[in-house]
Amino acid sequence: MTSAYGDITRAGRRKLWLDAREEAAMPEDSDAYTRAGRRKLDMDLATIPGISQPDGDVLVLDDALWERVVVATRGLAAQCFQCGVCTAICPWGQVKSEPVLIRRLVREAQMGAPGWPEAVWLCTTCGRCEALCPRGVDIPEVILALRGLAWRDREEPQGFPTLLWNVYWDGNPYGRPPSQRSDWMKGLDLPDFSGDQEVLLYAGCTASYDPRIQKIARAVVQVLRAAGVEFGVLKDREPCCGDAVRNAGHADYADDIAAEGSKLFRELGVRTVVTVSPHCLDQFLHHFDMPPEFRALHYTQYLRELIASGRLRVEGELPLKVTFHDPCYLGRQNGDYDSPREVLASIPGVELLEMRHNREEALCCGGGGGRMWLETAANERFASVRVAEARETGAEIIGSACPHCVSCLEDSIPGDASIRVADVAEILAWALAKPARVEAGVAS
Amino acid sequence: MSEMHTIVCMKVVPMPEEVRVNQETMTLDRANARSIFNPPDMNALEMALQLKQAHGGSISVLSMGPPFFERYLRLALCMGADRAFLLSDRAFGGADTLGTSRTLAAAIEKIGRYELVLCGEESSDGATAQVPPGIAEWLGTPQVTYAIELEVDYWNRRLRARREIKGGHELLLAPLPAVVSVKTGVNEPRFLDWTLRPWAEGQDLVTVWSAEDLGVDLEEVGVKGSATIVGGVGQSASRERRREFITGAPEDEARQILERIGQYLSER
Amino acid sequence: MTSSLYGPADARGVWVFLEQEEGKLESVSLELLGKGRELADALDCPLTGLLVGYALGDSPARAVACGADEVLVVEHPDLQVYTTEPFTSVVHHLALERKPDVLLLGATPNGRDLAGRLAVRLRTGLTADCTGLTIDPERRLLSGEVVGFGGGIVATILCPEHRPQMATVRPGIFAQPEPDLKRKGEIRALPASLDAADFRVHVLERSVSEEPDLTRAGIVVAVGRGARGDLELAQRLAGLLDAEIGGTRVAADLGWIPRARQIGQTGVVTQPKLVICCGISGAIHFTVGIDKAECVVAINTDPEAPIFEHADYCVTDDMFAVLACLAEQIAGARAVTG
Repeated sequence: MTSAYGDITRAGRRKLWLDAREEAAMPEDSDAYTRAGRRKLDMDLATIPGISQPDGDVLVLDDALWERVVVATRGLAAQCFQCGVCTAICPWGQVKSEPVLIRRLVREAQMGAPGWPEAVWLCTTCGRCEALCPRGVDIPEVILALRGLAWRDREEPQGFPTLLWNVYWDGNPYGRPPSQRSDWMKGLDLPDFSGDQEVLLYAGCTASYDPRIQKIARAVVQVLRAAGVEFGVLKDREPCCGDAVRNAGHADYADDIAAEGSKLFRELGVRTVVTVSPHCLDQFLHHFDMPPEFRALHYTQYLRELIASGRLRVEGELPLKVTFHDPCYLGRQNGDYDSPREVLASIPGVELLEMRHNREEALCCGGGGGRMWLETAANERFASVRVAEARETGAEIIGSACPHCVSCLEDSIPGDASIRVADVAEILAWALAKPARVEAGVAS
Repeated sequence: MSEMHTIVCMKVVPMPEEVRVNQETMTLDRANARSIFNPPDMNALEMALQLKQAHGGSISVLSMGPPFFERYLRLALCMGADRAFLLSDRAFGGADTLGTSRTLAAAIEKIGRYELVLCGEESSDGATAQVPPGIAEWLGTPQVTYAIELEVDYWNRRLRARREIKGGHELLLAPLPAVVSVKTGVNEPRFLDWTLRPWAEGQDLVTVWSAEDLGVDLEEVGVKGSATIVGGVGQSASRERRREFITGAPEDEARQILERIGQYLSER
Repeated sequence: MTSSLYGPADARGVWVFLEQEEGKLESVSLELLGKGRELADALDCPLTGLLVGYALGDSPARAVACGADEVLVVEHPDLQVYTTEPFTSVVHHLALERKPDVLLLGATPNGRDLAGRLAVRLRTGLTADCTGLTIDPERRLLSGEVVGFGGGIVATILCPEHRPQMATVRPGIFAQPEPDLKRKGEIRALPASLDAADFRVHVLERSVSEEPDLTRAGIVVAVGRGARGDLELAQRLAGLLDAEIGGTRVAADLGWIPRARQIGQTGVVTQPKLVICCGISGAIHFTVGIDKAECVVAINTDPEAPIFEHADYCVTDDMFAVLACLAEQIAGARAVTG
């Protein structure tokens, strides 16, 4: 039997294993591939419902389930050799007493085992495991695929159907009226995007509706204006990018949203879109079907270009110690650690301090993977750990560049702490409002 | 014995924020408002779907309104309903709860045998909550309003329902068939099942009936079948928050607040 | 046209369907007696209270004290607990026999349950969940004010040709009259002619408690980080307003309020008439829980707090100072009016 993703018969499966073993140059006694190891593994799996009865001394998986999971995960889990680095590195390990067994989830995906443990919904898709996986397995993708299957089994967590309906009816995951989408730009007199401007500024749902995050969108406007950028906005026509839907695990619907959005962007002649949130950026880069000349940039990336080309100069002095928290969807997921740091470094007076975990190793805020719409117990929030790390640096400000990060971090600032959270755009806007530094005072 | 058949009455309503009053004609301008399923009706459909999971059987969705409602009914099919009926005729227009419940009851009888009629507790536009008891009266079945939980004992043709009463709840036992209105928010309506989407486009799944098809007396439906008339409409203070800042010393501020919220503080 | 069973020419009198629990009249029934008295006076007709049930205690006398000229009492052990059909039949028969012009019910779950069925049986019009009632004495027409579309639209509804003109009225809209124990009125005990066929639905158990339910609260006092764990004043105000205490996720995290009282995205979505937000910054995961409130008051020291975007009345001040004054002024006003 051959599917779009290769040979998925039992023989094919065995071949897949062998291929994987060959590639990985696995030692013969490696647990997963010896007969004894296989038996042990199957015994582990036997505790999972849906696995068929023992056949001789070896348990056999249900072929239909196997196919379903392998097809859904596009065989992505096949490369995993069960080293367990993912489980060890998962940030949940820092806040939960019981570790979240990512390795096991991946194993179940490899073997086609059904059943949806809570861990499937815990993942924030932060990508820390993927970054360190010696086999380069796209673990968040595997987990999102498992969520897709869980949706089909109607095993989704409470709150996610409402999230999807909100997007369906109102065009945003918060269920706020579409007619209020442009409230954030009140008084700014922003032009409609005509297709002729350099840039489409895309606020996204969170910056459109969350009063706290609206300030970030307004700061981005302020900075773009300071650089003389000609840009337009879509106002009430702005569509949802689909990130919340995709990360809730409903790829089918997210793909529809992306197709609709792509169609609109093409019709409008969007060549460059600048986003407030790295989550929207991720959708535009990887899920929108756009012509090759189309560019999607996070605003920090766009500002970095403006600074490099001399269009944006920050002259105001802002003496401030800032530590930068890498948003997962700008950093690990899209490989940009430098743009926000360079933008911050361009501000005279800003001193950049790094946290213990930074760049590729940065700790997630806890808001990705749809977790913004699920409750996390107060003592299990990554952001609390992150804020503690930030305080160790002696910084006055935790800078970030993502609405979810800003929300999560702000919620985790203890009452007695003086450290504050600000988006890079806000910090830049403060600097732009400052008078220029007196040249004489600067040592060359 | 045949399978359980549930009929779910669903209304398509304009988004509340988008409805405006035409100040000249003093009528509601819904033309520019986007529409959604009446949220309580989604709870009713979800309850029907859960019963279907438990007992098998089938679900028919019934709605009354203009032809464009059809695409909403297909959403209900995508959630797991089996077929849909749309009552669409100018003669049905302008009905109050008397005319509406008459029309829906006539359609239910035409659809045929049923064990349960489920409705949302009320519609978000009219908010009368009177249609479900009205349907029950026209059909001559028992009614349970504001149901929070529902169990069907199909074999013994009866249901047990927990319903809301003032300050609490009560558990009822009622024979089938019955009309049940479902309390808003008692469950989380499932999202569309993507795998059903191609099927849900099937031509024969949605039946459209006119007044003639229903065979109802035209005097009993629509405006003619209604007892109430709208004397006038107005837009209540805009849905937007007033954002009025109150300043002064705390006691002045408190006094000003009390002046403004006095209408909400009934004497107790 | 669907005609009602009798017309305006035969109709006379204002009726109020009285709900009672263990012999004690519901507050909305008292409110309706007060309003009904006004309507009856305007129409120059008697006000009739309608009591159906068993072990009614002093409810009939109390209805008279609160304004009824006559109270029709149908008392029977089988009517002790409300069920739709027997009550519908009883009221239907009385209405056909005595032909009231106006019939008012409280918009409680049972009041609405009964009204919807009764209106169809009488083939008459029903204005549901009124927030106001006025009468045109010339045309003897009741006009009910109703809100629709989540409160965005106000409409007045009339029932010109069908009788009785029925309306259910939201609790808390009208003031309760002061009982006048010297008022005279006639209490008529009427026989209950019950039909066994009406007793198809059985109440297996009933539980009425005063357990808090934020989703149904009329007034909510909500606290956030700014409360710094001190809820004494917020609770005092809530007590005075008969309000429920709610709060933000932070307030729940810190154990200031139980999780069941957390408002917002991952908590409860409230739809009260009034919510008073104290020391709440206003993140979206909180504000989605108060967007349906009719009126929002926000008190926060930070003039930039996003909560003010979601409030009708904004106070930039210390929540404790303002709450103390609010409580004092409300208590003071109560003390004066007795």
